[in-house]
Amino acid sequence: MKTMLCSRRHMLHTSAFGLSSVAASWLLKRDGLLAEEAGIPVKPELEQKTYDLLPKQPHHNSKAKAMISMFMLGGPSQIDLFDPKPELIKHNGKSFTGDIKFDNPAQASREIMAPLWNFKPHGQCGMELSELVPHLGSIADDITLIRSMHTGANNHGPSNYALNTGKANSGRAVLGSWLTSALGSETQELPSYVALTDTRGLPLLGGENWSNGKLPSIYQGTVIRPVAPRIFNLDPPRHLKGDPQAEQLQLLSKLNQEYIREHPGENDLDARMQSYGLAARMQVAAREAFEISNESAATKKMYGIDQKVTRDYGTRCLIARRLVERGVRFVQIPCNGQVWDHHGSIKTALPQRCAEIDKPAAALVRDLKERGLLDSTIVHWGGEMGRLPVIQFRDGLTKRETVGRDHNTYGFSMWVAGGGFQKGYIHGQTDEFSHYAVDGIVHHYDWLATVLNQFGLDHKKLKFRVGPRDLRLVESPEARIATELLG
Amino acid sequence: MKIHNTIKSWQIVFLLTAFFANSAQLKLAAQSVKILSFEADVRPILKAACFHCHGEEKKKHGGLDVRLVHLMKTGGESGAAIVPEKPDQSLLWTQIVSDKMPDGPKKLTPSQKQIIREWIRQGAKTARPEPEDPDSIRFTEEELNHWAFKPIKKYSVPMPAGFEIRTPIDGFIANRLSKLGIEFSPPASRESLIRRITFDLIGLPPSPSEVEEFINDETPQAWSRLVDRLLDSPEFGVRWGRHWLDVAGYAESEGGSGNDIKRPHAWHFRNYVIQSFNQNKPIDQFIVEQIAGDELIDGSPDNKNPRHVELLTATGFMRMAPDSTQNDNSLENRNQAAADAIQVISSSMLGLTVGCAQCHDHKYDPIGIDDYYQFRAIFDPVFPLKKWQQPSSRLIDITSAEDQKKAEQIEKKAKKMDAEIQAKKNALAKIIQAAKVKDVPETVRDETLKAVLTPQQKQTDRQKELLDLYPMVKPISFIAGFLVEYDNAAHRDFEKQKEEVTKVRATKPPKKMLRIATEQPDIVPVSAVFFRGNPNSPGEKVQPKELTALTQANRKISIPINDKNLVTTGRRLAYAQHLTDGRHPLTARVFVNRVWKHHFGRGIVNTPGDFGINGDSPSHPKLLDWLANDFVEHGWNHKRLHRMILLSTVYQQSSKRNPTLNNLDPENRLFARYNLRRLEAEAVRDFILATTYNLNLNTGGPSVPVTTNGEGKVVIGIQKIRDGLAAGVSEQKAAALRRSAFVEVNRSLPLNILATFDLPEMTPNCDNRRETTVATQSLWFLNDDQIVQLTNQLSERLFMKYPDNNNQRLNTLFSRLYSTVPKPTEKNLISDFLKRQEEYFKADQNADWQKIIKKHPEAPKKRALAALAQVLMASNRFLYID
Repeated sequence: MKTMLCSRRHMLHTSAFGLSSVAASWLLKRDGLLAEEAGIPVKPELEQKTYDLLPKQPHHNSKAKAMISMFMLGGPSQIDLFDPKPELIKHNGKSFTGDIKFDNPAQASREIMAPLWNFKPHGQCGMELSELVPHLGSIADDITLIRSMHTGANNHGPSNYALNTGKANSGRAVLGSWLTSALGSETQELPSYVALTDTRGLPLLGGENWSNGKLPSIYQGTVIRPVAPRIFNLDPPRHLKGDPQAEQLQLLSKLNQEYIREHPGENDLDARMQSYGLAARMQVAAREAFEISNESAATKKMYGIDQKVTRDYGTRCLIARRLVERGVRFVQIPCNGQVWDHHGSIKTALPQRCAEIDKPAAALVRDLKERGLLDSTIVHWGGEMGRLPVIQFRDGLTKRETVGRDHNTYGFSMWVAGGGFQKGYIHGQTDEFSHYAVDGIVHHYDWLATVLNQFGLDHKKLKFRVGPRDLRLVESPEARIATELLG
Repeated sequence: MKIHNTIKSWQIVFLLTAFFANSAQLKLAAQSVKILSFEADVRPILKAACFHCHGEEKKKHGGLDVRLVHLMKTGGESGAAIVPEKPDQSLLWTQIVSDKMPDGPKKLTPSQKQIIREWIRQGAKTARPEPEDPDSIRFTEEELNHWAFKPIKKYSVPMPAGFEIRTPIDGFIANRLSKLGIEFSPPASRESLIRRITFDLIGLPPSPSEVEEFINDETPQAWSRLVDRLLDSPEFGVRWGRHWLDVAGYAESEGGSGNDIKRPHAWHFRNYVIQSFNQNKPIDQFIVEQIAGDELIDGSPDNKNPRHVELLTATGFMRMAPDSTQNDNSLENRNQAAADAIQVISSSMLGLTVGCAQCHDHKYDPIGIDDYYQFRAIFDPVFPLKKWQQPSSRLIDITSAEDQKKAEQIEKKAKKMDAEIQAKKNALAKIIQAAKVKDVPETVRDETLKAVLTPQQKQTDRQKELLDLYPMVKPISFIAGFLVEYDNAAHRDFEKQKEEVTKVRATKPPKKMLRIATEQPDIVPVSAVFFRGNPNSPGEKVQPKELTALTQANRKISIPINDKNLVTTGRRLAYAQHLTDGRHPLTARVFVNRVWKHHFGRGIVNTPGDFGINGDSPSHPKLLDWLANDFVEHGWNHKRLHRMILLSTVYQQSSKRNPTLNNLDPENRLFARYNLRRLEAEAVRDFILATTYNLNLNTGGPSVPVTTNGEGKVVIGIQKIRDGLAAGVSEQKAAALRRSAFVEVNRSLPLNILATFDLPEMTPNCDNRRETTVATQSLWFLNDDQIVQLTNQLSERLFMKYPDNNNQRLNTLFSRLYSTVPKPTEKNLISDFLKRQEEYFKADQNADWQKIIKKHPEAPKKRALAALAQVLMASNRFLYID
C-alpha cells in the first residue's frame, strides 16, 4: 500500500538530506514531540513508516552502547608503529623478491626499508610497539591490537568505503548511520551521530565519511566544526550572538503572540512558536557539551590540551568523551585530508602525526576507563590501510631523505579498546615482511559484523528496505564475528 | 455528540476529531443505535486485517475462513468464531481484544474492536442472505457501490436565502451551512485577500504597488480584475505547473537503488507542463497528450515538427517514476520501474491506490490482482519487461541539422587539440622513461629497456621478471596516463591545456534530447498476472482493460490489443480517450478536487490520491459532481474553473476561527471560513527572494544545478573536480536566484532550504504534501547564513531608497513582507527593538566591524534593520497565508 502523504521526514530512501549542514538532523524526531507539546494529536498514518531517534532494542544483549572512532585517513605505517618484523631489519636495503602490489609505480622500488624506529614491549601483556607511540604503550593492557586487517581495495577512497560502509563503493551508509538507525539515541537534545572535524579541514571524501547513503537522512552524521558555528545553523552568526539574538527572539515572540491572538485556535502557530523554544534549548545543550572550560586542569593536561601540538586533537577527544557521557551514539574524530599518507618524507612526517595524536588517543581510553565508561564504549583507532615494506622514492633514487612507503591494504594494523573487546591482546599476523595478513585475517566486513555484534546487532538481520530490495551494511556471505577479539 | 458539552479548550476539540477521524467511527460515536451489518461495517475491517490468512490463501490458517458470517459461525479447528449476541463467548472477539490476532505487529484499533463487538452483540447481522461459496462474491455490493465508482450525477445549484451567492460554488456550500444555521465568515481584509490570491495563483507575494492599487480600487470589478491579471501572468504556470509536477512525480534523477543517475533532459517535461497551464490547454487534451501523445502523431514522428516534439515531450510523464535499470538492468528493477510508473498514472488520473493490488487483491477497494495486471497491460507496450530499454537508450535527439553540423565541426577541432596534447604527453613520457631506465643497474639496463618496449603479450619470462624487479620502468602509454605522479608540474600544465579544449567543446550548440515514452515497433508484450507480484512467476494471461469497478453501468470500453492502423498498439490512446470522454467516474472529479484543494488547503475529498473506500469521503458530494460536470461541459477549461472558485464568496472569507464554528467543525470540512495555510517549501524560498529584491524570473531551460558542498550540505552550484576529487563548488550567480520550480529536482540532493521546509520526496510521486513544524526550520530563520545575507541586502536597499526616512523604510519593509503597514503599537515595539540593536552593534568591538563603522557610521543602523527583517521573516505572519 502506498502512502498518501509525502514528507521527506517520513519516507524512506535517498541520501544527503543536506542536514549535516542544517546539521540539526536529530531535531527531526521532534515532529511528534512538538506536536504533542502543542496539544496536536499525532495522527495515525496508514502503514506509513516513520523514523525517529528514540532508543530502540537491539537484537540481543549488547556490550557496547557508544562508539568513538578515531579514523586515521591516509594509512598509518604499521611497519613503523605496530607490527615489528626482524626480517625487515635483516634484509634492509636488499631487493624484495615476493609478490608486491604498488599503487604508484612511478616512484616504486623493491628496496626493503626496515622500520625507522625502535620497538619495545609494553604493559603486562608485553605488546611490542614503536617508540613513536609511547602513550599507547601506557594503555597496552587495555587494548586489542589487530595486526591482520585486510580490505584489498588499494586506494584511499575504496578502502575507506570498505571499512565504513561494508563495500568498496560510494553511495552507501556508514557504520555510524546504521547504528543510529538501528538503536536510536540515548539523548534527544544532541545529535545522535557526530563527526568532530579537524581545524585544518575535512577528511578525504568529506561528507561521505558520515553519509547516510540511502538510509533516511536523519541518520546522517552531523558535522561539528572546530570553530564557530560549531554546528551549522545551531549557533547564531557572530554579530547576533548573545543580546541581539535574545532581543530578536523576544520581538519574535511578541509578534507571534499577536498573530496568534488574531488567529485563535490555530495549533500550528503555537507549535511553531514553541519550536523556537526548543531550538533555544538545543543551542544550550550543544553549547554545554562542547564547553570544556569546566574540565579540570589535570584532565586537560592528560589530553594534551595545554600543549600546542596536541591541543586540537586533545580537545576533540575530550569533547568526544563529553558527548558519549551525554548519550551520543557514535562519534567520529577524523584527521583532515589524508595526513597519514606517507608516500614521502615518512621520517619527519610520521613522528609529527604521532605527536599530535598518540597522547590524546591514549588519554581518551584512560579517561573513559576512569569514569567507568570504557566497558560500554568502543574506542577505535586506525586508518583505511597500512604501508609497504619497500621504499617509495618520491623525489628520485638519489634523494633518500624524502622517501616514503606506498599503500598496503592487504595487511595492516589498528587497535580497539572497550565495548567488550579483549584487553592487552594482540591478534593476527602478517607475513615476515608485513605485506600480507596471513593469520587470523580480519576483513572489513568481519570488523563491521563484530562491532555490530557488540552493539547487540546481528549483521545478517540488520536490513533496511529501499524499493524492491533490502540494504545491508554487511553483505558478504563470508562475514564472521571475530570472536577471538572479544573478551 | 455528548462529548462536545465538556469541551474546554481548542486542543480537546482537536484530540477528539482526530480520534474519530475515520468516518465510520464518527458515525458510530454519533449514532449509538445504528444497526451494524457485516458487509458495511465489519467486513472492511476483516478484509484488511484477516482475509489474507483466513480466506484468500488456499490453506486457511486454523481452518478458519472469515469471509462470510456463516463460515465464522461454523468456525475452524478451534470451534465457532462467533456466537451471535455473545461477544465474550466469541473467539473472534477474544482473539482481537487480547491482540493475539491479527498476527504481526499491526493490531486493530480500539474503535475497530468496538465495532466488531457491537456487531456481534447486535446478533452478527448480514445485509442480505449470504452465498455458500465465499469465492463467489469477491467484492460486495457495498464495495462496488462506493460513491466514487458511480457515474457523476447532475445537480441543480441550490440557492439558499440569506447568503451572498456569487458563483454556483457559494450555493452548494451555503446550502449545507443554512441547514446547520451557520453563515459564511465575514470577508477577509483586502490586504489578506491580495496576499492570499497572489500566493495561491502565482506562488509569490504581491508587490507593494500591487497591494496599493487593489486596495484603492473600489470598483466592483477590482477583485475579478486581480484574478484575471494573475491568471494571465506567466508565473501562474510556474506555480500550478509545480502542483501537477508533484502528481507526475517530476524528478531529474533516476532514483531507486544504486547510484542516483541524473536526468539532464527531464526539464523539457517541466517546461511542457508550465506552458500547457499558461496556455490554458484544455485538461482533457493535457491528459491525452501525457498518456498517448506519441499515438496522436499520424505516422512516424518528425523530430523537426514542433507539434510532434510537444506531443513526445508530454509522454515524459510516463517516464518520471524512479528507474534503477540504468544501474542494474535486472528483471526485478524493470518490474519496479514499470510498477512505479503505473502508480504515478493511476494515482494522478484515477485518484486510486491501484498499486496496492500488485501482489494480492486490494485490501479496501474492489480491485483484484487481475484488475491490476489488466490495467497495467494498457501500458505494457511502453514497459515491456522482456524487451526493456534502459533510460539512456530511450532518449530521442531533436537537435537541428544546422546545430548538429556546427557541433561536429567544433568536435573536429577539439579532437585535433586533444591529439596535439597527447603527442606532447607522449614525447614527455619518452623522456621520463629514458630517465627511469637510468635507475636500472647498467648490467641489465639495455635488456630492461628492450623489455618495456616489447608489447606485453610478446614479453619473455625474463623480460617480465625484469619489469617486475624494476617497477619504475613503464611503457610510454602508461607514463603518459600517469603523469600526475611522474611529473606533477607537467601534469598541471597539460590539465590547463585540456581546459582550453573543454572551453572549445562548450561552444557546441547543446544537443536537444527528449525523454519520451513510446512503444518499440512490433513489440506487443503478452501480459500476465504476476503471482504475489513476482515478475518471475507469471500466471494467467490478461488483456488490457479498465478496472472492473469503473466499468459498471454498461460503461464497457474496448481497448485494442494491437491497432493495425497505428504504428503503436493504440492501447493508451483508446484508454486516454475513455478517461477524458466526460463520462468516466473519476478523471474529472479527481482533477477538480485537486484544484479545489490547492485553493483552499483542503480537498472536498481530502485524500486527493485516494478516492477509494479507505479514502476520505467527500464533504460536499453534490458540489464535487457539479464541478466535475460543469468542468467537462465547458471543455475542461482550467482557468474558467479557477475563476469560478476564486470569484466565490467562499474563497473570499476570513480565515479566522470562531468558537461556535470551531466546536462544530474544527477541521473546516464545511468551508465556512478560509484555511490558514503555511507557505510550501518553494514558496518560502521564492517569497524570501522576492521580498529581498533578489528574485530572478527567467523561465524555461535546463534547471539550476545542485550539488553538495564539502560537508554534505546541498547547495546550488556545480561540483568542481580536480584529479578526480571534489574541489569546491562553482556558484551560479544570477541563476541561483531563479524560482524554486527551476532548481534541479534531484532525489538524492534536495536543496537544503527546500528540504528544511518539507519539500516532498518523489517516491514515486506526491499526492498530498505534508507540513511539519520542527526546530530546524526555526534554526534556519535564526542562524542560516543565507537569511542573514539576504536580510542585510534588503536593509541596504531600503537605506538606499530612503536614506533619511526611518518611517518609510519600515512601511516598505512591512508592505514587502506582509502586504500591510505596521500598526502604531507595532511601530513602538519595533522602534525600541531597533534602538537597542543599534546600541549592541555599536558596542560590538570586533576589529573588522569597527573599521566598517568608522567608514560607514550608518552600519549599525543598517544591521539593526536587517535583524528586524530577519525577525519579521521568521514570524508566523510571513510564513502563513490567512
